[in-house]
Amino acid sequence: MDIRVGLNRPKIDVHCHVATQPNSDASADSLIASGDPVGVTEYWCSRPIGGGRIASVDEVRNCNDGVLRAAEYRPDHIRGLCYVIPGYGREAIAEIERCLDAGMVGIKLYNQYKLWDPAVWPVLQLAAERRIPVLEHAGYLTGREHLDKQPLISHGEDFTKASEKFPETLFIHAHIGGGGDWEWTVRAMRNASPNVYIDTSGSNLDDGQIEFAVAELGVDRVLFGSDGTMAGCIGKVLDAKLTDEEKERIFWDNAEYILAQQGAKTLHANSEGVAS
Amino acid sequence: MIIDINAWLGVWPFRALRDNTPEMLAARLDSCGIQKAAVSPIEAVFHRNVQLANEKLVEDIEPFSDRFIPLATLNPTYTHWEDDLKACHEDLNMKGVRLFPQYQNFPIDGPLAQSVAKACAERNLPIFIPHRLEDVRERHWMDPGNVVDVAAIANLLAAVPEATITIPNLRGMASCALWQREDLRDKSWYLDLSLAEVHRDVEVLVEQGGANHLVFGSHVPFSYPGSALVKRAILKVDKDTLENISYRHAKKILGL
Repeated sequence: MDIRVGLNRPKIDVHCHVATQPNSDASADSLIASGDPVGVTEYWCSRPIGGGRIASVDEVRNCNDGVLRAAEYRPDHIRGLCYVIPGYGREAIAEIERCLDAGMVGIKLYNQYKLWDPAVWPVLQLAAERRIPVLEHAGYLTGREHLDKQPLISHGEDFTKASEKFPETLFIHAHIGGGGDWEWTVRAMRNASPNVYIDTSGSNLDDGQIEFAVAELGVDRVLFGSDGTMAGCIGKVLDAKLTDEEKERIFWDNAEYILAQQGAKTLHANSEGVAS
Repeated sequence: MIIDINAWLGVWPFRALRDNTPEMLAARLDSCGIQKAAVSPIEAVFHRNVQLANEKLVEDIEPFSDRFIPLATLNPTYTHWEDDLKACHEDLNMKGVRLFPQYQNFPIDGPLAQSVAKACAERNLPIFIPHRLEDVRERHWMDPGNVVDVAAIANLLAAVPEATITIPNLRGMASCALWQREDLRDKSWYLDLSLAEVHRDVEVLVEQGGANHLVFGSHVPFSYPGSALVKRAILKVDKDTLENISYRHAKKILGL
């Protein structure tokens, strides 16, 4: 394992966050400072509201404005994912349209609803029509003390169920290492649509995680993400028992493919100096 | 040179680990450029009488005596633990002691823990108290799913200031009780790189002058050692400090 060579290879991080206004500029700088030393050149950012809280439409819009501001401040590195609370119906759809028009490249959902809930259907339908990814906060929590804090968190079975209804939607199961039984949630997606992906983010650095996801889902369905655990997650992929080509798919090619679905290109060139 | 103070052999009951035999772990360390590693048997965490596991460990790693440094697992709630400590030190030549209060069910700042810390200090044996072995959010129903309270470890060190204590697998270094208590800043305690992030965590501790408390540890084979190696590679410290973190602190802790 050559760490230096691995760090120099360009990477797209599909799971990042920046702060709401007025701190989004500083937050963007901090994020890029964490990714620069490890070769991240493009960051897909959102600002979700956690805890299952049904925040107001204005608060949600303020979150997205913070992301748009960060992208405007560092357009060479940052792209946005629009966070919405699907239960707001037409207002949620309007917010997605507003953010896409402003340059965002996807949707972020948190734990206000299970992914298959009918309240989420219009969002998933729009995502399918626009060919944009839906990054959903997810994990299979095993302890009641953790599950009680977010009873509607989605896991692998929920992705499988949602993808049966919307097979053309590009789903991203967030953070394989975000807490919870990652073997369970990955296995539960064995029969999901091939448009269901998983990202590598999260503070759990259990050995074998990446290879397990590749074995169960295929290397084309694993995306690099950090969610704040930048060095740890880079190390997971670099240390995985995969070929260089497979690591390139995780660090770059699969995210590039997702962008291409909506006609977008990566912000920088890949490890071979080729721009999309 | 790199010495890993946070490595393991054996079986974790709730998930299959790979590279967990002496032969396989040595090969994994080779692939990572790690020359030596301090190890103990994982299964001993759950044993009542731990001494047989300690004896077996020393036997198992004998062919790899240039690679592995044996650490004793001590269960201070078991009768005559003092005899185990003596045997591990004098007969088995073990270089430190691992304690697991969240599994062995004793308060880490109580009288029993203080007795252990004093006994270890008298023998110049360092103590290792992993903050956790596995992410509690994925815990099996038979696992208590607890982490060790670092504030309580700080109390233990304050009560036994001659002890050397390392806490592997901690996140939130700069905000932890050991660093926040200024009366303990010059004491012999260490944190490892295994789970903490560099950005806004390890680097903050370094900026605040705490690099003397850092040591290399990966938590292999529970965790990817590559993650700790990436952190080591991007740490903004001078060459001397990096060598301290990579192996000199480990040598000092383990008396090598």
